[in-house]
Amino acid sequence: MNLATTLPLLLGLAWLLPLGSFAVIVLFGPRLGRRGVGAGYLATLAILAGFVLSAVATLGWLSEHPIAAAGHGEAHAAESIPPICGEWYTLAEFGSLRITIGYYIDSLTLVMFSMVTLVASCIHVYSFGYMREELGTVTDPMVTLADGRPLERRGRFCRFYQYLSLFSFSMLGLVVAGNIAMVFVFWELVGICSYLLIGFYIERKSASDAANKAFIVNRVGDFGMLVGLMVIWSTLGTFSFPEIFEQVRPAENHHSLVVPDGMVLAGVKAEVERIVLDAPGPTEAKAAIAANLPDWREQGHGRWLLILAGLGIFCGCVGKSAQFPLHVWLPDAMEGPTPVSALIHAATMVAAGVYLIGRFYPVFAPEVLVVIACVGAITLFMAATIAITATDIKRVLAYSTVSQLGYMTLSLGVGGWLAGLFHLITHAFFKSLLFLCSGSVIHACGTNEMPEMGGLRRKMPWTAYTMLTGALAISGAGIPLLYGLSGFHSKDSILAQAFSFKLENPSLGGVFFWTAASGAAITAFYMFRLWYMTFAGQPRNEHVARHAHESPWVMLGPLVVLAFFAVVAGWTLPVIGWGVPTVLEQARPAGTALGAAGRLVTVPAEHVSHLPPSIHIPVSFIAFLAALAGFVLATAFYGLRRLDPEDARRTFAPIDWFLRRKWLFDELYQAVFVRPVFWIARSVAAVDTRGIDGVADGLAWVTRQVARLDDLIDRVFVDGIVNGIARRTCRIGLGLRSLQTGNLRQYVMWVAVGTVALFVLISLVWDFAIAG
Amino acid sequence: MFLPNNPLVVLSLIVFLPAAGALAICLLPRGRTEMAKLSAFCVTVAVFLLTVWLAIPGTSNAESMRFAMGTGRMQHVFSVDWIPSFNIYYLLGVDGISLPLVVLTSFLSMLAMAASLKIDLHVKAYCVLFLLLETGMLGVFMALDFFLFYVFWEVMLLPMYFLIGVWGGPRREYAAIKFFLFTLVGSVLMLIAVLMLYFASDLRTLDTRQLVACHVREDALWQGKTVPGATAGSSGSAENTVGQANRGIRAIVLSDQPLHTFNIMALAEMGQLRRSPFDAKLLWGKSIQWWAFLLLLIGFLVKVPAVPIHTWLPDAHVEAPTPISMILAGVLLKMGGYGILRICYPICPDAAYELAWFVCGVGTLSMVYGAFAAMAQKDFKRLVAYSSVSHMGYVVLGLGVWSITAGNLMSTDYWNLGMNGAMFQMIAHGISSAGMFFLVGVVYDRVHHRDLDRFGGLFAKMPVYSGISMGIFFAALGLPGLCGFIGEVLVVLSVWKYSMVLAVVAASVVILTAGYILWTIQRVYLGPEYKGPHGEALTRMTPREIAIAAPLLALAIILGVYPRALLDYTEPSVKHTVTSLATWMEDVKLPRLQAAVAAEDGKQP
Repeated sequence: MNLATTLPLLLGLAWLLPLGSFAVIVLFGPRLGRRGVGAGYLATLAILAGFVLSAVATLGWLSEHPIAAAGHGEAHAAESIPPICGEWYTLAEFGSLRITIGYYIDSLTLVMFSMVTLVASCIHVYSFGYMREELGTVTDPMVTLADGRPLERRGRFCRFYQYLSLFSFSMLGLVVAGNIAMVFVFWELVGICSYLLIGFYIERKSASDAANKAFIVNRVGDFGMLVGLMVIWSTLGTFSFPEIFEQVRPAENHHSLVVPDGMVLAGVKAEVERIVLDAPGPTEAKAAIAANLPDWREQGHGRWLLILAGLGIFCGCVGKSAQFPLHVWLPDAMEGPTPVSALIHAATMVAAGVYLIGRFYPVFAPEVLVVIACVGAITLFMAATIAITATDIKRVLAYSTVSQLGYMTLSLGVGGWLAGLFHLITHAFFKSLLFLCSGSVIHACGTNEMPEMGGLRRKMPWTAYTMLTGALAISGAGIPLLYGLSGFHSKDSILAQAFSFKLENPSLGGVFFWTAASGAAITAFYMFRLWYMTFAGQPRNEHVARHAHESPWVMLGPLVVLAFFAVVAGWTLPVIGWGVPTVLEQARPAGTALGAAGRLVTVPAEHVSHLPPSIHIPVSFIAFLAALAGFVLATAFYGLRRLDPEDARRTFAPIDWFLRRKWLFDELYQAVFVRPVFWIARSVAAVDTRGIDGVADGLAWVTRQVARLDDLIDRVFVDGIVNGIARRTCRIGLGLRSLQTGNLRQYVMWVAVGTVALFVLISLVWDFAIAG
Repeated sequence: MFLPNNPLVVLSLIVFLPAAGALAICLLPRGRTEMAKLSAFCVTVAVFLLTVWLAIPGTSNAESMRFAMGTGRMQHVFSVDWIPSFNIYYLLGVDGISLPLVVLTSFLSMLAMAASLKIDLHVKAYCVLFLLLETGMLGVFMALDFFLFYVFWEVMLLPMYFLIGVWGGPRREYAAIKFFLFTLVGSVLMLIAVLMLYFASDLRTLDTRQLVACHVREDALWQGKTVPGATAGSSGSAENTVGQANRGIRAIVLSDQPLHTFNIMALAEMGQLRRSPFDAKLLWGKSIQWWAFLLLLIGFLVKVPAVPIHTWLPDAHVEAPTPISMILAGVLLKMGGYGILRICYPICPDAAYELAWFVCGVGTLSMVYGAFAAMAQKDFKRLVAYSSVSHMGYVVLGLGVWSITAGNLMSTDYWNLGMNGAMFQMIAHGISSAGMFFLVGVVYDRVHHRDLDRFGGLFAKMPVYSGISMGIFFAALGLPGLCGFIGEVLVVLSVWKYSMVLAVVAASVVILTAGYILWTIQRVYLGPEYKGPHGEALTRMTPREIAIAAPLLALAIILGVYPRALLDYTEPSVKHTVTSLATWMEDVKLPRLQAAVAAEDGKQP
C-alpha cells in the first residue's frame, strides 16, 4: 500500500462525506423520509463511512509502520516517522506567500480521526433516540409565551443532523489540516457549529445567551491566535506545519529549538534598516546582515517573537479548550442538547485546543511551556473544586471536562506530550460515555437536577452501570503498576511526568504535581458524588422516579460501545504492541523527545518518567491513594450517608458560597469586560450623534446664520441703500416738481441765478487752483 | 454571441446603455409605470450581461476583446477627443482592479433594480435617476482621464441626492442634504487636487515607452503646433501609436511649453519619476504631491467613509429606500477605496510613503470605532451602516500598509497581500452589505419598523429568510467559507509587517464584530416570539425576494470557498501597482533616504 497516495485519499473522503451530507440536508432536509428522518440516516451513514475509512487508513499505516518494540519505556530508540504532507488546493497566492488547504498525516492524525469518527458515530446513533421528539411537534416547557402558554413548535430533527454533519466535517478538517491557517479556518467553523448547536433551542433565551457567550469568548482566544498567526506569517512567511517546524527546529541542528532567521531579523528591524541605508548596494547590505545574523541570534534578538507566536497559538487553545481564564463558556454551553455536549463539548471540539498544542509542540519555547503548564494546573484545580458543589448533572460533567482538559494542558506544559494526548483520547471515550449516560438520565427524568433524582439504578440498570464504568475510568481505577481502566493509564502517565518535572524544578514542579494529585482525589469525589446522588439510595422525587424508564436500545447501544472503549482504550495489545500510546509515539515531533532547558525551568524528557523504580512506583501509589480517598469520601457522604453533606456545607460556608458562585468569574467578567465594552459602545455612538454630527450640524447652522445675516445685510443695507436712493430721488423729484410752475419769468430768473452761481463757483475753484 | 470587437463600442455601451435607457424611459408615455420599471430592469440585466461577457475570457469570440488574465496592465484602452484644448479625453479602460468593481456594480444594480420593482412613487423619475446613477458609477470605475473621472463622480452624486431625498424615509431631506454636502466637500478637495496635478504635470518628462504605455494620444503631444513630418490624424488605437508617439517625441523636443495632461496613467508615471514634476514645494515646506495626496485622500475617505467623516452614512442609509441602500453600501463606498488605490498611491508615492501612518491609522480607527458604534445601535439599518464603516476600515488599512521599507528588506509580498485583501474586502463587503441592507428591507416592508428590541422569533415565522440572513450575517462576521473571512484575514495578516501595534488592534476587532453580529441575530431571529407590531404581516419570503437574496449568498459562499475566482483578476493588477511602487521605492526613495542618513552622519561628528 502506498501510504503517500492512499492516506490523503481515504482521510479526504472521510472528511468530505459529512460535508456532502450537510449539503444534501440543507437543500432537501425536510423532504428526506418521513418528517426528515432520512436526514438522520444520511448523516449517520456518512460518519460511519468516515469511521470505516479512518480505521482502514489506520490499519494501513500500522501495517506499513509496525510498532518498533513492544512495551512502554523502551521504544524510544525508534525515530519518529515522517508525516505525509501535501496540498489539495490553493486558496490564495501572493508571490512567495501561499495559503493552502492541505494535509499533514501522521499517527496522531490517524488516531484523532478514528476517535472522532467513532465517538461521532456513536452519538449520531444515540441521537435517534434522544432527539426522537423533534420528529413531531415539540412542546418546550422551558419557554412560556406572552400569553402564558408553553411554546409549541415544529420539530427540527433534520436541522440537528445538518449541524452535526457540518460539525463532523469541520472537526475532521481541523485534524487533517496541513497548515496552521487551515487549522484556524476549521477552528472557526467548529466554533460556529458549536454556536449553532448550543443555541439549538433558539427559543430559549438562556440557550442563545450561552451560544453567544461561547462564540464570543472563543473569539477572544482566536484574537490571540490571530496574533500568533500574524507573527508566524510575517516572520516565517509560511503557515505550513513542516516548513514552520523545519525553520524552528532545523534538521542540521538536531531538531533543537532555534530562533528562525525571519524572527531574528524582525527583532532587529532598526539595525537592519540602518545597514540597508548605510550600505552602498543591496548585495553589500545582504552580506552585512548575513554576517551579523549569528551575533543577533546569540544576543537573543527575536526570541520574544518566538515566544509571542507560541503564546498566541496557545491563546486560541485556551479559548477552545476552555482553559482558565476563558473557561466560562463551557459550563453554559450545556444549554445545548446532551448528545451535542457529549460530542462537541466533551470529546472532540474542546479537545481540539489540546490537540493543537500537541501538533504545534515543536514551536513552543520552554517559557511558553511553563505558561501552558500553569494555565493547565490552575484550570484543573479550579474546575474540579467547582464540580464538587454543582447540582446540575451536566454542569458537574462540564466542570469535570474543564478539569480534565486542564490535566492534558498541564501534561503538555511539563513535557508530557504523549501523556497529554493519550489522556485526550481516553478522556474522549469516557467523557462522552458519561455525557450520554447523563443524557439517558435526563431523557428519563426530564430534569437536570441531581437532588431530584436518586435510586435510578433499579429503573435504568444499563445506564447506571455503563455510567459507573465511566466514573471508574475517569477516576483512574485500576491495580497500581498493572492494568486498569483507560483513565488509569493516561492519568498515571500525566502524574508521572509531573513528578519527573518536579525532580528537575522542585518548587514549581511540586505545585504542579500536588495540584494534579489532589485533582485526582477531587475527581473521584465529584464523580462518585454524581453517581450516588443519581443512581443510589432512595428516590428523592416520587414524580420523577415514577416516570423514569430505561432508554431504548438505540441509546443504550452507543453507551455499551463507549463503555467498552472507556475500559480498553488505555491498553496495549501484547504481541503486536498496538495501543494508543505506542501508536501516538510514532508521531512525536522531532526534537521534542529530549526535553528542553529554558531560563526559568528545565523540561524533562518524557521517557524519563517511564523509568520504573524512582518515579513510576511512588506516582502510581500516590495516584491510587488519591483516587481512593476521593472515592471513600464520596461514599461516606453520599453512598452510605455516614456523613451529612449539609454539615460540611455549613462548616465551610464561605468556601461553599465561593464555589457555588463559580469563583465569581462571571461576575468579574461582567464588571471588567462586558459592561465597559457596552459603555464604550454607547459613548462612541454618542460621540457620533453629539460630537461629530454636532460639529457638522453646527457648521450647517453657522452657515445658515451667515446666510440669514447675508440676507439681512442684503435687505437692510444693500437694498436699503438702493431703495433709499430710489426713494430720495423720488422725493427730490417730487420736491423739484414744485419748481415747475410754468412761469416764464421765474424760469429766466432761475437761469440768471444759476449762471451767476456757476460763475462764482468756478472763480472760487479757479482761485483755489491758481493758489494751489 | 455577436458583439463588436471594438473596445470603444463595448465600454461605451456598458457606461452609456443605462443613460440611453434613462432617456428612453423619459420618452415613455405618461402612466406606463410597469413598463418603465421593466425596461429599467432589462437595461440593468443587459449591462450586467455585457460586463460578464467582458470579464470572462472564454465568452468572447472576438480576440481583441478577450480579457487577458495574469497581466496587470490596463486593457481595452481607447481615447477619443473630448475637450482637446484642455487635453481632456474620453479615455476608458479596465484592468484587474476596476473590472471586478465594474461587474459588482452592474450585478448589484441589477439586483437593486429588481428590489425596486415595489416602488410606486414617481416611478418614471425613479427609474431615470437610477439608471443615470448606474452610468455614473460605471464611468467612475472605467475612466482613465482624471477630468472624466471627476465628471462621472459628480454625475453620480445628483441622482443619489434625489433618490434619497424624494424616495427616502421621514428625515430624507436632512439625510440627502447631509450626504450631498459631505460628498461635495470631498469633491471640491478632489477638484483642487486634480487641477494642481494638471498644472504641475508635464508630458515632456516621460519617454516614448512610457508615453505609449500610458496611451497618451499623439496629438496631445504637439498640441496644434505644426510638427515637421507629422500628419494630422486622430486614430487612437494602440497598434500605430508607437510611430505616432515617435513623431510626438519630436514635438516634445520642439515644445517649449509644459504639456499638461489629465491622463491618470501618465500622471502616475510622472509621480514615480526620479525627478517628478510633483516634487516642487507648494506650501509650508510640503510638495505638490503631498498636498494633492492629502486632498485626494480626504476626498476619497469621505466616500469610504472613514471616521471621523463618516456620519453622513448612517443617516443616508437609514433614510434611503432599500435598493438605494444596497447601491450605496455595495458600490458607492467602493469608489473611495478604488480612488485611493488607483489615484492616490500611484500618482503621489512620496506623499503616500510619508503619510502611510495616517492612512493606516484612519483605517484602524474606523474598524474599531465602527464596530463599537454598531454595538450601541437600536436601529437595524443604522447597525448595518456602522458595520459598513467598520468593514471599510479594513479596506483603508489594507491599502495603506506600506511595508516595503528598508527595515523589512524591501519585501513587497505583504503589501501586495494587504492590497489584494483590501480589494477582496471591497467586493466581499459589496456582497454582504448589499445583502444585509436588502434583508433589513425585506422585514421593514412587512412590519414597518427597524427597532432591534422589537423583533425576535423570526426564525419560526420566516425560516428561509432567516436561513439566508444567517448566511449573509455570518459572511459579514468573517466566518471561514464565506467571503468576508478572506478579505479580513488577508488584510489583518498583512499589517504586522507594517506595524505590530496596529496589527494587534486590527485583530481585536474580530471580537467586537462577533459581538454585535451575534447580538443582532439573537435579537432579531432567535427567541420564542415576535415582539413588535404587525406580527401577522411576517409572511414568508416571496420568490422575487429569494431571487434577489439567494445570488448574494451564493456569491458569498463561492468567493469564500474559491477566492481565486476574484484574486486571479485582482492579483496581477495589484501586483503591477505594488511592483511599480517597489521599483520607485528602490530607485528613488531609497537613495533619498540614504542621502538623508549620510547627511545626518556627516552632521553629527
